[in-house]
This record gives sequence, structure tokens and C-alpha cells, in this order.
Amino acid sequence: MDRSKINTKKYNRKNHLHLLVALVFLVLLSMISIGVGKYPIPVEDIIRISLGKEVDATVKMVFFGLRLPRTIMAIIAGIGLSMAGSVYQTIFKNPLATPDIIGVSSGANLGAAFAIVFLPGGTNTVAISAFIGGIIAVFTALGLTGLSREKGVSTFVLSGIVIGSITQGLIMMMKFFADPERQLAAMEFWAMGSFAGITENKLIAIIPYFFLGSIILLLLRWQINILSLNDDEGKSLGINVDLMRFVVILAATLVVASIVSVTGLISFIGLIGPHIARMISKRNDFYTTVFSGIIGGILLIIADSLARSISSSEIPISILTTFIGAPFLAYLMTRLK
Amino acid sequence: MKFWKRSILLLLALVMTLSFVGCAPSSKTSEPAETPVAEAPTEETKPEEGVVEEKATWPVLIKDHLGREVTIEEKPEKLVSGYYITSSMLIALGLEDNLVGIEAKADSRPIYSLAAPQLLDLPNVGSAKEFNLEGTVALEPDLVILPIKLKDAVQSLQDLGITVIAVNPEDMDLLKETLTMIGKATGTEEKAEELINYYDEKIGELAKIATEDKRVYLGGNSAFLSTATGKMYQNFMIESAGAKNVAAAIEDTYWATISYEQLLAYDPDVIVVVPEAEYTKEDILKDEKLAPIKAVEKGEIYIMPDSFEAWDSPVPSGILGTMWLASVLNEEAYPFETFKSDVSDFYERFYDFKVESEKITK
Repeated sequence: MDRSKINTKKYNRKNHLHLLVALVFLVLLSMISIGVGKYPIPVEDIIRISLGKEVDATVKMVFFGLRLPRTIMAIIAGIGLSMAGSVYQTIFKNPLATPDIIGVSSGANLGAAFAIVFLPGGTNTVAISAFIGGIIAVFTALGLTGLSREKGVSTFVLSGIVIGSITQGLIMMMKFFADPERQLAAMEFWAMGSFAGITENKLIAIIPYFFLGSIILLLLRWQINILSLNDDEGKSLGINVDLMRFVVILAATLVVASIVSVTGLISFIGLIGPHIARMISKRNDFYTTVFSGIIGGILLIIADSLARSISSSEIPISILTTFIGAPFLAYLMTRLK
Repeated sequence: MKFWKRSILLLLALVMTLSFVGCAPSSKTSEPAETPVAEAPTEETKPEEGVVEEKATWPVLIKDHLGREVTIEEKPEKLVSGYYITSSMLIALGLEDNLVGIEAKADSRPIYSLAAPQLLDLPNVGSAKEFNLEGTVALEPDLVILPIKLKDAVQSLQDLGITVIAVNPEDMDLLKETLTMIGKATGTEEKAEELINYYDEKIGELAKIATEDKRVYLGGNSAFLSTATGKMYQNFMIESAGAKNVAAAIEDTYWATISYEQLLAYDPDVIVVVPEAEYTKEDILKDEKLAPIKAVEKGEIYIMPDSFEAWDSPVPSGILGTMWLASVLNEEAYPFETFKSDVSDFYERFYDFKVESEKITK
């Protein structure tokens, strides 16, 4: 706030540069990632496909039906979770806030667990139930905040803790009643996340919600910055703070719920993406939110390429996000001032 | 406003209560376990064939799968089995009337209601997740049989002076060892040997007809994209049936998750789905991502029947799963009708019940 105009300009240019470099990096990694997978697709075929030439029907199906959707899903999941994390860290004025702070992931986890134990119908039912679970959890948390006298940031966080604990309790209960061979294993694996089952249909099903949420967040970038001030300052700038916070939370929830409903829980990206972005850009504004989205995309695309290649079976994505993200954060913590 | 607040809170409370009620049916089934008041076995040990054949001299010394040496002073009359595999074994050994307590969720095992419905009324001693130590003690058993994953409970029971053996029947050899061990411990060695000989005989017969090398993908029960690895009993089953497991190279010891791409790269000739899977053959057929697979193109998808036991696992009648697969893969050498009569013979001989042959499906 005490920066001079010249400085701001310089910072902006530097930020654009960061964004550009990160974006180029993301595109490069995506291209490499598209060549990685269990079904052998030769590089010539990938080139033929990108030139619009004909290839073997199965290769084409694998490429467009599985490989490409999976890569895109990894990118948008990284972007979405990281951006949502960054937005939450901003509006809750808390560097430890994650997309789960008001219960969306634990709600989705509960929804998935419920579908695994009680509903027939396989992965689609689980995804729908997880999405609904995430949304219900957030609405309950918001409702709880609405019922409280104090509607400040800490009330949101407290409501999130209450809802999170209740969902955890219910999940434990379901785990207890679950069949250990089938359902318990499915629940545990869901909670570790995976892109192994992503197909074009799943991607197409969630993309509208993802974009709706993301576009709202982008449009509200100015208001999100104001929400990082204290509420009185926000009000004096003529903003309906309570309403804005509500809308921002809903938009972020839509983004996160649409992602985790098809991938399962992906830990750490929502926390680490924004931190890495802030450490590199040394700022904390909406540029950083976009930047952290791209960092998240980069991290997840690396993680998923490894998940599908380093072992003969699929490795749950959360194991890799943790192992890639945490050391990188530690490195930045110790090396950067 | 106050009214709204109250009604919303009330609604919340209601929802939470209902969620508990929703779980009630399943909790009720485990309720009998919580009242382990020594429900004495109603019919006192009536002479079974298996028991008559007794010729062991007591005491016997057993080395169990935890490496413990257990001395059994005299023929145990009251048995507790905390593991579905050993409970089923005890039926096969003709000892179902000696059981005074069994593992939780007995009603989910069709073999009990078919061969020994009285087991369903026994107090349950819990599961590997939640073992009921006090309930077990209250039953005053002469012998408790537990899986090795309950080794803490094994230690506690031993400290309380209860005779307990821990078993780990997770592959064919260990299954046979377990049978021998329990046969010895309960004085039913001959019956155990008869069952083991049956296994060896059938495996030998199957090896003779195994001529072709079909490549099989085994879909796990939690998800179609989870499969049995080379280190699992299911791999043994596929190989004994004369086929190759496409996922044999995976080193995991538990069901491994693979991707669509991996399955397309495997391109199996036959897809087999384990019993009680969460998806159906139609789910596989209508998944267009799987359409290029040979097995799907030719409609070579078979679901293991789930009316008896989990035939894909090392249960006492698991040998029938291997025979089922051999018959499915090679109808000419081993017609399905012959297999059906083999199943009838097996269950009549060891489990003493008549099989409804329409339950044997593929």
C-alpha cells in the first residue's frame, strides 16, 4: 500500500513475466505428459493426431477418450484447487487455509463414502454423491455462520471446523459398517485421489461447473482483494462484505467440488500452490492467485505423469502431490528470503 | 427470526438423528454380539461323522502361523472362530455344532445359511476391525481360532489362559496347512486330509486339460479397474485353471488399481469378475472405453457365482473357483454340466447340503 507508482509498474511487469514463464512451462509439461501412459502410443502417432491425420481407431480412442482428458483434468484440477486455496487464504486472512476450510472436501468425502456403502451404480453415482456432499457441507457451514451473531471470518472457520468434525464422524461410522474387502478399500482409495478413471465423459460432465466457478472468481478479483482487508474497510469502500464473501465461497466451492467429485481427494495442492506462488512473486494479490493456479497445474501434471508411469499399478495421486510438493516448499522456505 | 433459527437447528438435529437411524439395520445385526451371555449350544454335541473318526491322542502340540507353539490338552468341545475362512472349515470338518461363537457379519456369508444355518444365531465375537475380547472370554471356549492379523487379541486371550491358535490361510499351501492344523487341534485330521486330497486331485486333473494359454483379466469387486496381482491367490487360481493373468507382473500384494489405458494395453482374451462385485457385466459392455478389448468384442466376460463362498479366495471351497474358471475357459475339455455336478458332489460330501444347480452361473 505504501509502494510508489513506479514500483507498482515494475512489479506488474515482473508478475507478467512470472505468469508467462509458468504458462510456457505448463504447456511444455502437458506435451510431455501426453506422451506418457500405459497404452503404447508412438510419438509419430501423436504427431499425426495433432496434424489431424488418421491413425489406428484404438489409438485414436485412447488418445482422445483417455489420455487427453486425463491430462486436461490434471491441469484444471491443479489450477482449480490452487486458485481456490489462494482465494481462501486471502479472504480468511489465514496462510494455512485450504479449500477444505469450510468443509467442501470432507463433505465430498462423506458423499462418496455414502454412495460406496449405500448406493448402487458405480463411479458415476459416487461422483454425483460426492459433488452433492461437498455442496451440502458448505451450505451447512454457511447456514451455521448465518445463525451466529458474529459473522466475521473466524465464525466461518469455526463453522467449517464443526461441519468438518461432523462429517469425519459420519465417515468413520460408515467405515465401521463398511465391508472391509470392497467398500472400505474403495473409500480409502477415493480419499487418496486418482486420475486413473478419468474419461472424456467425466471431464465434460464437470467442466461447466468448473468454468462457472472459475469465471466468477476471476470477475470478483477486485472484491476478493478487498475481502482481504478488515470488514470495516471493505464496507467503507462500498462493498457488501457479507454477500461478497458468500458468493466467493460458493464459486470456490463449485470449483473444488467439481474437481474432487471425479478425482477423489487431492491433498496439499490447495495449500502448497499458493505458497510457492507467493514466495516466487513475493506478493499477495490476484495476480498471485492466477499464478498459483498455474503452479498448481504444473505440480499436478508432474504428479500424475509419475502416478501413471513409475509403477506397474496406478499410484494414488495424493501420495505424489505430498512427496513432490512438500520438499519443494521446504526448499523455497530455506532458500528464498 | 428466532423461530427460523430454532426450526433450522431442530431440522439439523433431526437430520443427524435420522442418519443414525439409517445405520441402525446394520448395527442391529451386530447387536447379538454385544450380549455374549453364554448362550449354551442348544443341541449338545451330537455325534458327527467327522467326530467319530477321532483317533488323535491328546494332548497335541500345534505350531501356528504366528510361530507359537500351542498345546491342546484334550479334544476341544466349545470352539470360537473369529475368521470366516476357519468358520467355513469347521463346517467342512463336521464341527459346526461345536461352534459357540463366530465372526461378525455371518449373515453376509451364504455358505452358513446353506450348510449350517444355526451358526447365524451364535453370538458374534467381532471382526478384524473390532474384536470382542470380553465376549469371547464369556463364551468360555476350549479353543479359539483367529486370523494372524488379530495377533494382539491372540496375545490377550493367551494371557487370560484361553487356548488360541492363529492362522493365515492366504494361499493354497497355507490353506492346506491351516486345514491340517485345525484338523489336528480338533481331532478331525482324517476329514481335513480328505479335503486336502480332493484339492490335490483336482489341481492335478486341471493341469492335464490345460492346453491353451488364454490371457485373463480378473476384475476386483470394489472396482472394475482393480485387479489381482501376481502375488495373490487369485493369480494361482488363474494359473491352475490353465490360463495367464495379464496383471501377473504387478508386484503389489493387494488388489492393484490400474488405468483404462493399462487394461487396453493388456488386451485380455477373457474377462472374469470376482463374486459380489459392485458392477455388472452390462456395465463393462456398455463402457465404450473398453470396447476395443478382445474379451469385450467377443463377449468373453464371465461373472463368478456368489451364492456359495467367495470362490476367488482361499476358502475351503475355493477349489471350485479354479474348477469353474477351467470350465469357463475350456468347455470342450471340461463341460460346464460336469462342473455343476462336481459342485454338487463337493458340497454334499463336505458341507452336507444339496446345491440348486441354477445358482451355478457364469
